[in-house]
Amino acid sequence: MVGTKEREVIMGAREEILERLRQVKQPLLPPRPVLPPLREFSFSKEELLERLIDELTKQEAIVQRVESAKEVKAKLRSVLEEEGITKVIVSTDEVVKPFDFPGAGREWGISIRPHTDFTDRDQFKKVVFEEVQAGLTGVNFAVAESGTLGIIHDEQEPRLISLAPIAHIALVPTDRVVPTYEVATDEVFKNGQRIPSQFTFITGPSMTADIKATPFKGMHGPRRLIVIIFDSPEEAKG
Amino acid sequence: MKKVSLFVPCLVDVFAPSIGMAALELLKRSGATVIYHEEQTCCGQPALNAGYRDYALEAARRFITIFGDDEVIVSPAGSCVYTVKHHYPKLLMEESKWYTRALELSERIYELSQYLVDVAGVSEIGASYMGKITYHESCHILRGLGISAQPKKLLSAIEGAEVVPLFAAEICCGFGGEFAERYHYISEEMVKEKVNHFTNSGADLLVTCEPGCYLNIDGYLHRHKIEKKVLHIAQLLAGPEFQRV
Amino acid sequence: MKARTEEFNEIAQHEVKNEYARAFLGLLPPIIAMRRVQVMGSFPDPEKALALSQAIRAESVARLPELLEQFEKNAVEAGAKVLWARDGKEARDIIVNLARERGVSFVTKGKSMVTEEIGLNEVMKEAQIEPIETDLGEFIAQQLNRPPFHIVGPAINVPVEEIRDLFMKMGILKEDTTDPVQLGYAARLYLRDKFHHIKLGLTGINMAVAETGTIINVENEGNIRFNKSSPRTQVSIMTPEKVVPDMKDAMHLLRLLCRSCTGQKISAYVTMDTGPKKRGEIDGPEELFIVIVDNGRSIFYQDEKTREVLRCIRCGACLNTCPVYTKIGGYPYGFAYSGPMGQILNPLLLGFDRTADLYHACTLCGTCRSICPAGIDHPALFLYYRFREVEMDARFRPKRRPAKERLFFRIWHMANKKRARWDFSIKLSRVMMKKYEKEGWLSSMGQFFTGWFKERDFPAASRQTFREWWGQRKGR
Repeated sequence: MVGTKEREVIMGAREEILERLRQVKQPLLPPRPVLPPLREFSFSKEELLERLIDELTKQEAIVQRVESAKEVKAKLRSVLEEEGITKVIVSTDEVVKPFDFPGAGREWGISIRPHTDFTDRDQFKKVVFEEVQAGLTGVNFAVAESGTLGIIHDEQEPRLISLAPIAHIALVPTDRVVPTYEVATDEVFKNGQRIPSQFTFITGPSMTADIKATPFKGMHGPRRLIVIIFDSPEEAKG
Repeated sequence: MKKVSLFVPCLVDVFAPSIGMAALELLKRSGATVIYHEEQTCCGQPALNAGYRDYALEAARRFITIFGDDEVIVSPAGSCVYTVKHHYPKLLMEESKWYTRALELSERIYELSQYLVDVAGVSEIGASYMGKITYHESCHILRGLGISAQPKKLLSAIEGAEVVPLFAAEICCGFGGEFAERYHYISEEMVKEKVNHFTNSGADLLVTCEPGCYLNIDGYLHRHKIEKKVLHIAQLLAGPEFQRV
Repeated sequence: MKARTEEFNEIAQHEVKNEYARAFLGLLPPIIAMRRVQVMGSFPDPEKALALSQAIRAESVARLPELLEQFEKNAVEAGAKVLWARDGKEARDIIVNLARERGVSFVTKGKSMVTEEIGLNEVMKEAQIEPIETDLGEFIAQQLNRPPFHIVGPAINVPVEEIRDLFMKMGILKEDTTDPVQLGYAARLYLRDKFHHIKLGLTGINMAVAETGTIINVENEGNIRFNKSSPRTQVSIMTPEKVVPDMKDAMHLLRLLCRSCTGQKISAYVTMDTGPKKRGEIDGPEELFIVIVDNGRSIFYQDEKTREVLRCIRCGACLNTCPVYTKIGGYPYGFAYSGPMGQILNPLLLGFDRTADLYHACTLCGTCRSICPAGIDHPALFLYYRFREVEMDARFRPKRRPAKERLFFRIWHMANKKRARWDFSIKLSRVMMKKYEKEGWLSSMGQFFTGWFKERDFPAASRQTFREWWGQRKGR
């Protein structure tokens, strides 16, 4: 904790800095320009989905589109086989939970463990850093304007699941596709709501071009981002 | 007949008067009566850019006194027009009488190609040139004054000439006044690159609306004995007699 | 970082001849600049989009004290601790103490220019705490002990052979290879181990949202996410001007920041943190410290003109379009900040006496101003600094302009006041130039203008000025 003497210095600094800033008379600001809305706002559901998939593909995410929730399990199984993945950690968010992937994993002879298997932080970290080959999560939003996944991190959605393993597999129900970032942030940062400790935008695999300006994927975060898009039950019902 | 007051930049007055003579000729062809205030000296830009604000202020007041009553002022130098139009009001902001006069004057001053096309409404001005020409977009003219379509219009109306694009035309040629002397080793690289782009464009003539750019590029071409030509737009449009005195 | 701004000329003259750096500078910045233009096209009205981000930054700076207090209140309510530091020393003390108290022997750092500005790494090392840069470019630059070459790619100019040698020396690389991808993967493995075991992660802050008390970071690699997820303690450091009013504004700025910085619509990861982790969450920081370091900014906030410098969002677009930067690269600017944004900021942080070249080495071409998403008028600021310098305004600690130059302008000024004097000066200079003139050209003027005459000729003063010609025509 910060000691009393340090506290004094810090409060002193605070007062000094703010006092200097307050001395200045605030200028009158000209009115802000009004922007025409982004094109995605007027897109139909199909166009939004098309834009989402287009942008995801541009970022070198791998997109798998299935019709309904029923086909998700089979698709996941084939993805895991193709990628040679046998050890997965899965979150317990409201998108993935209903599928009971841990149960499916036992059927397929693959290890798909929920993070709730580990109550100790260090134990969890060891698994997610060293043992699994993929992290499986849902999303809260899929933003069409740039193919961006919006994920709220909380008790059901540990941060490291979509970060530490070399592959991140994300399930996107079509009813979570939104046109722009603000639609997501308006929801997440609603006044008076408990704001999540972390909200993350993920757009494609991790990348860098810091060596000789040569771009490549998979610097610190996942090298592969696989997105399985499926019609949410409500959507499927039509 | 429109009365136009000719403002001859100091560099032109001393080192390239043919540009001034060419500007005079073009204004006459456009149908204007040209007045020239003989007491005019420098707009103050060199002092301004070097930081000598007081000297620049005096130059500004002097300029406004001399040109203040003119209906229209035209100059073959975008950076000087920019200085008068943009910097004078800022410099004089604390002297309300001068500030008002500076603001007012800023409405009546034009760069040459801007005047010819936008005010006099001419683009074909009796010019001819057999060959390929390319155009360098000077910083104060393009970004300062927003002028680009007008010189291009004038160039495309030249009989016999083919206008070809210049790669990176809008990048600075490296003059920048004191910069060319003080940071010459950077300035040299900039003008060298500009000349490379010029050579690669396939044109034999490079045109600019800015005397500083003209002197910079011409100085480099001459030193390195490069068989290419650069002209100020006024010189090209007015004709061969105005092309080096 | 030790400032070497006084060595601008020396370093620039060296760098301008560095063929390898020149090859980069001729390729990468123009490509990013071009991508920027393309991706701005995703806005129905790109000009208005630019104008809005400029207005948001103008407002953020205008409302600075109010927004800072609002940000602090909301961040604290969410469980973060906000600590204030007047200068680099206070900030370093805070951070070193936090690390010491937690018995930390190393920290991992996400990219933060302000930590370079305050020289945090050196002080941490002295305190036996190893600071490990985790952004790949910063990691390389740190190991090679070099300043950043470019705001976005700090080591982008370093030859792959040098990186290979470095990594082999560090034991990071087992196989001899110069393939950038293999080198990158080697660094990844090495740093991954650090990420796993860190107890304290240090990050910068791209935006601090007043409305919600949220800090936002933008990255492509994922190292900042690790710094925010793996350790139990997160320390994020910012300067006051990073505040923005609300999340809507933050989202718009996010679009402009990413487009201006790398020509992307958005970077791979954007993380928005509001307080430390909540109870029941298995990862994320148990403690979140936000350090606000002033380092002189509240002082130059008080000058209406220099206040504008605080609008900068560190996108680096000005570097990519600057005709001077793209000839000399980042090293000559001698400090954490380079290019036009460094030229306006470093003089305020370090004093004019140490940075005169920074605000003079500019042709005032205005390209930076035309693309700046924060609406900063760099050329106007350079002129302002030059005015303050000539007038010896003590607030900025300028050095007196050389006597020769002051004399030159005094003479120019006297000659400019009366046409007759002007004409006389020209006549005088014609006589002086006569001995150098050859066929109407000058290749040298002795000890005058030696810079110009190195690679260029200049026309000799004409036989007649325009005025003389005009007078002659009128028969005078």
